[in-house]
Amino acid sequence: MSSVLGALSSMNILLVEDDKQVAEFVVAELSAAGHSCVHACDGSAGREAAINHAYDVMVIDRMMPKMNGLELISALRKAGDNTPVLVLSALGDVDDRVQGLHSGADDYLVKPFAMAELLARLDVLKRRSAKLESEAQTRLVVHDLSMDLLRQFVQRGETTINLQPREYKLLEYLMRHAGQVVTRAMLLEHVWGYHFDPQTNVIDVHISRLRQKIDKGFERPLLLTVRGTGYRLGPELDH
Amino acid sequence: MQVREVANSLTFRYIVKYVTALSATVFVLAVSFYIYFSYSSFIDLGESVIEELETLQLVYRGGELAGVEQYIEAQTSSPSVNRFYYLVTDGTGDKVAGDLPSASRYRQFDDGWLGFEMALQNWGESVEVEFLAHPMELGEGYSAIVARGYADIVERAKLVFRTLVTVMVATLVLGITGGFFSASRALDRVQILNRDISRIIRGAPSQRLHVDEEQGYVRALAEVMNQMLEQMESLMQGVRRVSDNIAHDLRTPLTRMRNNLSQLRSRLSDRDGVSQLDGIIDECDDLLTSFNALLRISALESGSRLAGGSDVELRALLSDVVELYEPLALDRDICLELDAPQAQFCRGEADLLFQMFANVLDNALKYTPSGGSIQVRLRPGNGLGSVNGHSIVISDSGPGIPVSERKNVFRRFYRVESSRTELPGHGLGLSLVQAIAQYHYGRVELGSNNPGLQVRVRLP
Repeated sequence: MSSVLGALSSMNILLVEDDKQVAEFVVAELSAAGHSCVHACDGSAGREAAINHAYDVMVIDRMMPKMNGLELISALRKAGDNTPVLVLSALGDVDDRVQGLHSGADDYLVKPFAMAELLARLDVLKRRSAKLESEAQTRLVVHDLSMDLLRQFVQRGETTINLQPREYKLLEYLMRHAGQVVTRAMLLEHVWGYHFDPQTNVIDVHISRLRQKIDKGFERPLLLTVRGTGYRLGPELDH
Repeated sequence: MQVREVANSLTFRYIVKYVTALSATVFVLAVSFYIYFSYSSFIDLGESVIEELETLQLVYRGGELAGVEQYIEAQTSSPSVNRFYYLVTDGTGDKVAGDLPSASRYRQFDDGWLGFEMALQNWGESVEVEFLAHPMELGEGYSAIVARGYADIVERAKLVFRTLVTVMVATLVLGITGGFFSASRALDRVQILNRDISRIIRGAPSQRLHVDEEQGYVRALAEVMNQMLEQMESLMQGVRRVSDNIAHDLRTPLTRMRNNLSQLRSRLSDRDGVSQLDGIIDECDDLLTSFNALLRISALESGSRLAGGSDVELRALLSDVVELYEPLALDRDICLELDAPQAQFCRGEADLLFQMFANVLDNALKYTPSGGSIQVRLRPGNGLGSVNGHSIVISDSGPGIPVSERKNVFRRFYRVESSRTELPGHGLGLSLVQAIAQYHYGRVELGSNNPGLQVRVRLP
């Protein structure tokens, strides 16, 4: 089985979505990407499903009859369920985003979305929750690239790499999500801290400068472009 | 309200003309009437002189000269100056009776009338009085002249004339003052309409004209115009809704198509096919970006403006934007610098403000030739004299935008002809910039950087 994202570890996903067409499509795509997906068609059904079964991540639509997405998340959080949640919404205003994240959601995606974006975000969410359980890291390593978080020191092999502050943040984010696909929107949100739509490929320029520093002169490129989706840090996988 | 504005107003000029013409007409009429009455009192005076002469003649016939002397004695003892004056002379012309001097120089009028002036003592004052006189033969060589002063008639005429002039001046002053106030009131109402209409033109389509409490033509006009605006707005909204719906409804299938394409791409093994698919996917993404921008503009424009928000530090925000675009500028050999001497806080949505400045900078980078320069300048004050607010100027050394195009470039999908073919873009960037600025109660202005474009964003 091969998907856009290559080797993603399989996840147990709960999808709470009232729109049948969207649900069918998402379930099909998630299954095609190798995940197992359960669909609940409204808020209260979603709540039942979440209580009865443990999931790696949940994808919850915001506007639903009976119990809306944000109410569902609040209820789950109150009941002590800390499963990462991604909210899907047709609303794209800043206020709505903030509200969504306030209610306890971990990420927010505006409909309609590219499937690759959803997959990348879910993967990051799942690993983030897994990492929270392990102890805080002081050192990140990807292949022969290493980052000392205490001394802010980056090395590839024996070569020291000098990075600008933003390049350092960018690389740190990529290394924390090594092997995962990160999209341009994710980078803007987490490295730059702004949620906006760039008109040009401004992120690509940052990536190519970073690539110059960490990959140039090395046999094996680490920073890869995933066509149509984003980037991935890690040794190239065999197709 | 300026005096000059009122003075120039149509209503005021009309009222002034009207009042002037009216008082002039009344004046002319009154003067004519008075001339007629003065003339008739003059005639009366003459008649009374003749009557007095006839009386004198009767007295003479009854009592010879002695009777006449006695009569004149009795008549001239009256202290009033408005009485008859007499002169009786004998055949040689010597004065025999009366109180007129014998050797007065008379002016001869028609029909035997005489006129002369004589000083009279009136209240201890010597007054030169004009007299009207008529001679008559009494018989036996005696002749008499009876005279009467007509100063009272002249005085009265002068008084009436002065009164008339005063009344006319008063009418003019009162009329023009009244005219000024009614004109300024009318102007006030028109200016309220003017102000409301300008607001609508400047981009507040939901603004309505103020409807007067008072019934009248201005109120009727405002009501009719409000109905018209209502219709226009609903038509405009209809058009906008249709295009938003199109964008919205096309976005979903387009996203699905894009997802399917990327699925297909991952299954495809042949290299040519993959690169062709990549091209199609890129075009899909392009279209989606455009739809999203369009919907965002609509959402910003049609919804209410910023309420709440947070304190955004503009210097930090701008340096983040500049930092984001710095590598792009370096690649194109463009000198990009930020000139922001102090931290400035502005109420707003950081993401939207970032988007706005990113769009402006994106454009500047797109149009500035390599080797050029771009400057981002942040200053306090709105640039119009007030210390409140913020002024952000982004100037580049590109070709700029001709003055005639500056208004148009804010329209959706509008692109300057020369860039239409040469550079990528959808013509939505500046529309979004404007929508965001207005959402923050600010404005965007385009100017020339001689050469190049200067984009000035003013935020409150």
